[in-house]
Amino acid sequence: MATPTHTLRPLACWKSILRHTRHQKVATRSLTTYHQNVTYSKFELPPPGAKPQGPKKIKVYPAPAFPPANTKEPLKALCADQIALLDPTGARTSLFSKTNPEAAKVGDILLVRLKGGDPFAGVCINIRRRGVDTGILLRNQLTRVGVEMWYKIYSPNVEGIEVVQRREKRARRARLTYMRKPKHDMGSVQNLVLAYQRSRSGLRGSGQKEEGLKGGKKKSVRGKKH
Amino acid sequence: MAPKLLTSWAQLPPVFLLPDAFLPLVAKRGVKYGWTTAPARGKPARFNQKTAGLPVLEQSPAAALARKDFTLPLRTGALGIKKGMTALYDPDTGVRTPCTVVQFDRVQVVSHKTREKNGYFAVQVGCGWRQPQNVGRPLLGHFAGHGVSPKQFVTEFRVKNTSGLLKVGETIGPDWFMEGQFVDARSDCKGKGWAGGMKRWGFKGQPASHGNSKNHRTMGSSGASQGGGSRVLPGKKMPGRMGGNQVTIQNVKVLKVDAEKGLLVLNGCIAGPNGCVVKIQDAIKKPWPAIPAAVEEVKEALAATA
Repeated sequence: MATPTHTLRPLACWKSILRHTRHQKVATRSLTTYHQNVTYSKFELPPPGAKPQGPKKIKVYPAPAFPPANTKEPLKALCADQIALLDPTGARTSLFSKTNPEAAKVGDILLVRLKGGDPFAGVCINIRRRGVDTGILLRNQLTRVGVEMWYKIYSPNVEGIEVVQRREKRARRARLTYMRKPKHDMGSVQNLVLAYQRSRSGLRGSGQKEEGLKGGKKKSVRGKKH
Repeated sequence: MAPKLLTSWAQLPPVFLLPDAFLPLVAKRGVKYGWTTAPARGKPARFNQKTAGLPVLEQSPAAALARKDFTLPLRTGALGIKKGMTALYDPDTGVRTPCTVVQFDRVQVVSHKTREKNGYFAVQVGCGWRQPQNVGRPLLGHFAGHGVSPKQFVTEFRVKNTSGLLKVGETIGPDWFMEGQFVDARSDCKGKGWAGGMKRWGFKGQPASHGNSKNHRTMGSSGASQGGGSRVLPGKKMPGRMGGNQVTIQNVKVLKVDAEKGLLVLNGCIAGPNGCVVKIQDAIKKPWPAIPAAVEEVKEALAATA
């Protein structure tokens, strides 16, 4: 470290001059021009001018084969299998199919024949389409009490579904829940069903020919017995 | 160089060099008070030896494994994707069974966890496929190290011992499970967000009238006042985040196995939305299923007959 030089050097003061030179000598001795690059990293740095290397590439193994058949919509595939098993003739499917113009629609009066128990008839106020789990909601009045029943159309317990009467005009709603209100309630469909059954039995008595003719108008679809 | 402060106790000089002020002021010898009915200890310095006369420690990893021994499944589970619900009908009896359809998407064993290395036995299973550029380098290296493609979902299934460690890279299909067996299905249930006490815990709420004002769905009181300590007890049911947690449905029956389409049909409902990941493993509360030990052997036999 150099001591600051005075602008006015006192010539008489030899002591301070000598001290100054002594300090200068020390300063020069401790100066160094030696230099070396030192690295503390474990890895050796690339030599200067070398191309920079990217990270090591990791091998990616291919995925195994995906099961091919009906993998996109497995639920639909499963439903189709079930429907094929439960409805081999396709009668149940076509009765509630959206593509079939003759299909039963909301607002129609349907009669559900069951394997065990009395048949149930009522206005269809809802069709819940869920593949094999498709169900219909029928509304009727028994002893002046409103009754609603859900039936699964593919259930083996449902022997057959018949259309008793069609709605005159197509319903403009998907669910006719407003029919629960007293203003719109149809009441009991018992008379209509009785008339329908009488006409059918009459037809059966008169002959086969007429039945076929009338059957086209009042379509009656029966599911296959299981 | 300025003298550094000691950064850790490991750098302290040995005890005999320390000044007296550093040593604990606890008398170790010559203190005799208290009594015990336990058998006399042979060598008090030895910790938890048989000669110590102490009961065997129950907080050790070995003890934990021994405790779990009875409930840990013998074989690994599998990952499935919930696809939705439908119903199966029995054509003979007409019984309708609601069911959940789970799809298996390239389920593979990714790696193992072992007692020596990790303290327990488990099989790491992955399913699906993920673009390699969407996987971080450490995970990509993990997959590559085991020779498995990058997986979308990875989870581990604990098993009892080494015999439950299915080979790495082995594919698990729905035929890993048998029709009629019981499984535990765990998945993350649907999140409901921040929900009030009525929705979250089924609180009754408060009456609509009778002088009630602006407090119809609030939780009401959160506890007693002065007699009860004037505080809210820990664990008090309150409004907050609901759902989104993992739910285990135990003893779910396997109704159908369709290896060709990679489908497993489970009885009833499983937590979570469609498309969620379902972890399926043998039910721990039922007897272990009698499944042919080596699936490969069965496959080979099938291939030979076909």
